[in-house]
Order: sequence, then C-alpha cells, then structure tokens
Amino acid sequence: MARMRFLCDVERCIDCGGCVVACKEGNHVPVGINRRTVVTLDEGKPGEKAISVACMHCSDAPCIAVCPVDALYQRDDGIVLVSKKTCIGCGYCFMACPFGAPQFPKGTFFGARGAMDKCTMCAGGPEETFSAEEHKLYGQNRIAEGKVPLCAGMCATKALLAGDADVVADVYRKRVFQRGSGVNAWGWNRAYTKK
Amino acid sequence: MQKRRTSIFLLLFFSITGLTATALAQQPAGFVGLTSSVSSYYQELMQVITGDWQKYGEVFTMLTAEWFRPIFLVVLIGVPLVFALHYLIIGAKHFDHEGEQVLFFSAYNRIVHLIAAVSFSLLVITGLLIIFGAYFGGGAFIRVSRYVHLISALVFAIPGILMFAMWIKDMLPQAHDIKWLFILGGYLSKEKKPVPAGKFNAGQKMYFWFSTLGGGVMAYSGYLIWGFGGSLDTIRLFTIIHNILGMVIVAFYFTHVYMSVFAIAGSLQSIKTGYKPKNEVDILHSRYKY
Repeated sequence: MARMRFLCDVERCIDCGGCVVACKEGNHVPVGINRRTVVTLDEGKPGEKAISVACMHCSDAPCIAVCPVDALYQRDDGIVLVSKKTCIGCGYCFMACPFGAPQFPKGTFFGARGAMDKCTMCAGGPEETFSAEEHKLYGQNRIAEGKVPLCAGMCATKALLAGDADVVADVYRKRVFQRGSGVNAWGWNRAYTKK
Repeated sequence: MQKRRTSIFLLLFFSITGLTATALAQQPAGFVGLTSSVSSYYQELMQVITGDWQKYGEVFTMLTAEWFRPIFLVVLIGVPLVFALHYLIIGAKHFDHEGEQVLFFSAYNRIVHLIAAVSFSLLVITGLLIIFGAYFGGGAFIRVSRYVHLISALVFAIPGILMFAMWIKDMLPQAHDIKWLFILGGYLSKEKKPVPAGKFNAGQKMYFWFSTLGGGVMAYSGYLIWGFGGSLDTIRLFTIIHNILGMVIVAFYFTHVYMSVFAIAGSLQSIKTGYKPKNEVDILHSRYKY
C-alpha cells in the first residue's frame, strides 16, 4: 500500500497562508485551532524562507506511543488519526510531538482541554467514512474520495506536496535537479565556501 | 521640460534610496542567507517550531511510552503483593483493645485526616485511572476521572496544609528514626519489642513529607500541566516530575493503607475514635510521652 506523506518545498513556498485558510475553512476547524501553520524564518531579511507545517504523520509516531488512552492510531497508509471520542485532552501528544501538531480547543470544565484536534491529511477519523458524524468531528475525507488534502490541493505554487511518498519524492527530486539550488548546485561549494 | 526633470529626479532618487536600502539591509547579514546550508536551515526551523525536541521531548516520549505505565503497574501489583505475603507469613500485630486507652488524635486531627483521606484516595484512584485509561477505553469515563483528579487536588490542598501545620513538630526526623528504618519498624518479626518511635514512626514521617511537601510539588506541577502554564519544555519536565513523584506517593499510600487497615489489627479505630490502646503505644510508639 502507498505510504502517504507531506512535503513542503521551501524554495517554492511564498508564505501566502492559503493552505492554513483552506484547511480551516474546508474542514470547519474549531475556533482557536489551526491544523496547519506557516512558519517564516528570517522575515524581512535576505534568505527569508517559509515552510508550511502540520502533522507529519510520522512513522513510529511519538503521539501514538505516549497516549494513555490509545486514542491515536496509524492507518496502513501511514496517516495518523485521532479518535475524538476516546481522547481525554491530557496533552501528552502535544508534549511528545516534535512538530507541535496536536491542538486543543478550550473545554468547559475549569479550563480543561477538549479533545485533541490535528491534521487528518483530510482522511476523516475512525467514524464511518463519509458519515455526517465523521464530517462534523474531523472535517472532509478527501483521501477516500481519491483527492489530495485541501492544503496541498490549493497551494498556488505547488510548494506543498501530499500523496504517495514515492510520487512526492520523485516530483521533488526532479525539481531539485532542475533548479540546482543551494548546496546541490553545481560549483556552489567551490565558488562560495570559504576555506 | 519641468515635468521631465522632476520625473528623472524622482526616478534617480528612488533608485538610489532603493539601492542604498538594499545594500544596507545586506550589510549585517552579508551572504549568510545564501551560503547557509539546507540542513542548518531546517535546524533553525525546528528550533522555531518546537524548540529543542531532543532536550526534553525525546526523554518525555521515551519515559511515557516505555517506563511510566510499567512502573506504575509494578507499584500497583508489587506493593500489595509484598504486603499480602507479609500478611500471610508474619501476619498482623494484635494488641489488647480492652485495656487502658491513650488519646492519640484530637477531633480536629481526625476531621482534617478524614478530608485528606477521602480526597487523597480519589487522587490516587483517578490518577491511576488516567495512566491505565487505555484499558477502560478512554472517553467520558477517563475524562471525568481527570475532572475528579482536579477537584480532589483542590480539596486536598486544604487538609494538606493543615496537616503540615499540625503535625510538622512530631514529624521532624530524629536519630532513632534511623534505628527504626534498620529494623523496618519491627514488622519483619512477630515479637512485640518496643520500637524506637515517637508519636509517629519513620515510615509515617516519610509518608508525611511526601504527601505534604511532595503534594505541594504535585499540585504545582499538576496545575502547570492542566493549563499548559509554561513553555513546552517546562511542561514536559513537570509531567516527568509529576509521574515519578506520583509513583513514590502511590507506593507510600498503599503502605499507609496496609499498615492502618491490616498490619496492626484494629489500628484504624484510632483515627476514628482518637484513642489507641496503651500497650500498643508502648510497643509501636515507645518514645511517645502521653
């Protein structure tokens, strides 16, 4: 089975934030939660770069390992999903995550966190596919429809790639060879690296 | 003519200021942006997103995923098992409850202890429920356990402070406590020899310090974890502390329950009525002056 993956091409991302909005609007993400965020480095300086970050759907995901109620699980295609009905909002997944992906809505009880919400790669959740309940809790299930996630689908510069890992890697490899950027560029080290 | 001169002037002005601004902007950074490697870029990026995951994140993940639950399981099963063996092999200590009685706990002591006992038991039970939540399927039941955990903590804070104030004098470590520890309070033999202990023995003293001062640490760390009241690394560190200290406190809690309910027959009465039999005090709290 194909392994689903995200890849953000830093050379192409223009920091437009369209992926964040597309995800939030298309999935009706709760207030105060962004499943995806764009991080900008060296803003306003030469060499400024932006990268779109969400759940990376890790192999051997730390969040799954630490969840005390086993609310998180990984599908055969590598997508990491959460069962919001099982989640108790303890926040361990957030502490374990190297990417800050898990997000928590404010609960009603003494500021307790609600059930964790994170990027589903637009693959819904454990509830029945295309059911109203799944849509309400997790948003769209575009993977089941055979589409790429909303964020990658709308990315204007096609910086954000999502899908079968082999295809994504292939697209990216071709790009890198074509533009020959950064340390991979021909003659780069010889010309610019100071001895 | 005038117009053209103005436009040329403006064009020149903007070009020069633009170039100067660009040149100035390049000045401090030099060509860092161009020469820095892709890997160092990602290193900087990860710092921005989640800080240094390897520092506490990795430790937290490893401990939580592989160690905390098994250790709690060992405490949960091992400690009662040891006591069950003790009960079967050595058995409970029996003292005559008909004879002379000594007032050991005032009504105030008993009420404070009762509130502490109830809230503390709830804390231990709900805490363990959260850790072993997977076996209960998570969801509403464990969510409610978290809420009860918080309420119990808020309630326990009051008797916790009061107990600290009312017993601290009797709980200060004494030289004879070391002797008590070496013979494990005489619980390993059936003999009734006077044991070196004042109003409280060394075991009780350890439990006292872990549940009051340790309870304070638990409360503070729990408060930070509950509301994510700190940087991510702080929260990770406090969660580790909360869990490890929790193990020690749970072990002491089981010990306390075993001692009061099983190991010394009828000793539970003293925290209900306030009186202990004189012959029991003479043996188990031989240095207590009544």
